[in-house]
Amino acid sequence: MLIELKNVKKAYQRDKIEIPVLDGVSMSVAEGDFLGLMGPSGSGKSTLLNLLAGIDQPSSGSITIGGTTISGLSERALAAWRARHVGFIFQLYNLIPVLTAYENVELPLLLTRLSKKQRRDHVMTALEIVSLSDRAGHYPRQLSGGQEQRVAIARAIVTDPTLLLADEPTGDLDAKSGDEILTLLKRLNREFQKTIIMVTHDPHAAERASHVYHLEKGTFVAA
Amino acid sequence: MKFLSLILKSAWRSKRRTTLTILSVALAVFLFASLRAVLDGFNAATQGSSSTRIVTIRSTSLIFSMPSSHANAIRSTKGVEDLTWANWFGGIYKDPQNFFAQFAVEPESYLRMYPEIILTPDQKQAFLDDRTGCIVGDGLARRFGWKIGDRIVLQVGIPTYGTQDFDFTIRGIYKAGGNAVDNQSMMFNWKYADERSIEKGQVGWYVVKIDAPDHAPQISSAIDQQFANTPYETKTDTEKQFQSSFASMFGNLNLLLGSIALAVVITTLFVAANTMAMSVRERTTEIAVMRTLGFPAQAIFFFIAGEGLVISLIGGVIGALLAWYIADGEKLGISGGFAPVFAVSPANAVLGIGISALIGVVAGTIPAILAARLRIVDALRRVA
Repeated sequence: MLIELKNVKKAYQRDKIEIPVLDGVSMSVAEGDFLGLMGPSGSGKSTLLNLLAGIDQPSSGSITIGGTTISGLSERALAAWRARHVGFIFQLYNLIPVLTAYENVELPLLLTRLSKKQRRDHVMTALEIVSLSDRAGHYPRQLSGGQEQRVAIARAIVTDPTLLLADEPTGDLDAKSGDEILTLLKRLNREFQKTIIMVTHDPHAAERASHVYHLEKGTFVAA
Repeated sequence: MKFLSLILKSAWRSKRRTTLTILSVALAVFLFASLRAVLDGFNAATQGSSSTRIVTIRSTSLIFSMPSSHANAIRSTKGVEDLTWANWFGGIYKDPQNFFAQFAVEPESYLRMYPEIILTPDQKQAFLDDRTGCIVGDGLARRFGWKIGDRIVLQVGIPTYGTQDFDFTIRGIYKAGGNAVDNQSMMFNWKYADERSIEKGQVGWYVVKIDAPDHAPQISSAIDQQFANTPYETKTDTEKQFQSSFASMFGNLNLLLGSIALAVVITTLFVAANTMAMSVRERTTEIAVMRTLGFPAQAIFFFIAGEGLVISLIGGVIGALLAWYIADGEKLGISGGFAPVFAVSPANAVLGIGISALIGVVAGTIPAILAARLRIVDALRRVA
């Protein structure tokens, strides 16, 4: 198994009140899987995704990904682990507006020891996969929403990560663009054997996943 | 180097705000370097002073004169090797704005006393031979386009010299061989001024050459004792003290100018810090995204601090270059007299740039720490 979650709990502290979000979640995800996470607002989907991405820590329980128990890593070690193993796709794309598409995709590679030429090769390959190599010099404001999300996907895959995490990747797109993004994710899963976990509200989007998990009040429930 | 482009692009995202910040830092460094140049002007005259020259003035103030008859008494004091004297003339060349220092001097002994005044033998002789001749510094000659043989007219600026204009012929253009003299002054024969004076035989100050620097206190005291309890009591100091006391006539310049410079620098620091804080606040999501991509907190700290440093350094370099170009006493025509050197030295320019770097680091540090400490999930939630 690529991902193993054991009895993961997460609660947030708001003033003096503890708000439980995940209540003893356990799950396993095989390498090359495409998993959909569904559930109503506040069910804990995004929190679970953040824990898998290593940008948040569980209150208790363990998370092991690719043999590394990330729930015990330090901030610095987690950052290095994320850079190597995780590609994250946000709902609102979150590209850096002052950087071109090329520079946005190159951003994660600045943390590696690759030469400028090697970085260029990687960036152009990623942009070709998302069919945007002709827009490399464009700034985010010069791209449509669908194109921006494709650049964000190129940024997520440019380091060839173990795991792709997508938080409502089609939530801000029209139906046609959303469909293109889902097709692209499916292609990354099938052709490039990327393990993908996607949070979505959209049943149509969830249909593209191999498996779908439903979360409600912090625990998995049957669909 | 691969991160420099990222820092520059981030710094330039809000062009108007960054430009204004750069200008405010440039102005601070410009003022700092210029004010330092003024202080250096006064200090240079003090530092360039000879240790074997002492200066006698009226005990009450430099602006009061004393009789030329003091010369014989001073000359006869033990340890005195040579003597000369001078008066401040204060004439006006065409317009009061064309200010430059003019001294009525005893020509032969004055040139002997100040070997720093460098003249060719021909020019020196022509000056000594002409009662209405004058010598001018090469900087002053450049300022007004004068050459040897030119005739210039000075209106009387101090009533004691009567009301009639003074005509002069330029007999020499000297170079300054040290900071004790400047190249922005004019010297002419004391007798020419004295013969038109309402009160004859008056001297502004005596310059005395002594046999050894160690004897300065005793000789100064001996000179002053000779005139004690007379209507014209004197105060004798080393040339260095004399220059310092002249500077102190303007009050505590170091404190005054230093306070102004400090106030400007601190104000600019707040402006720069506010700019950086605003810039970081606007980029909360971007910082969170970069952290998600794997950039460690330390890298975020260096990006933000580096951005502040880059903006401030650009302002610092512009300010230092402007000060170097503009704050030049010779170019502005405001050096001369007792503040011979007035220009931004390379050391002051570098110090100004250093201060701009300090502003950048201090202004960027707090926003950088806050950015580095940002919890990724909180920052993402703020916008999402």
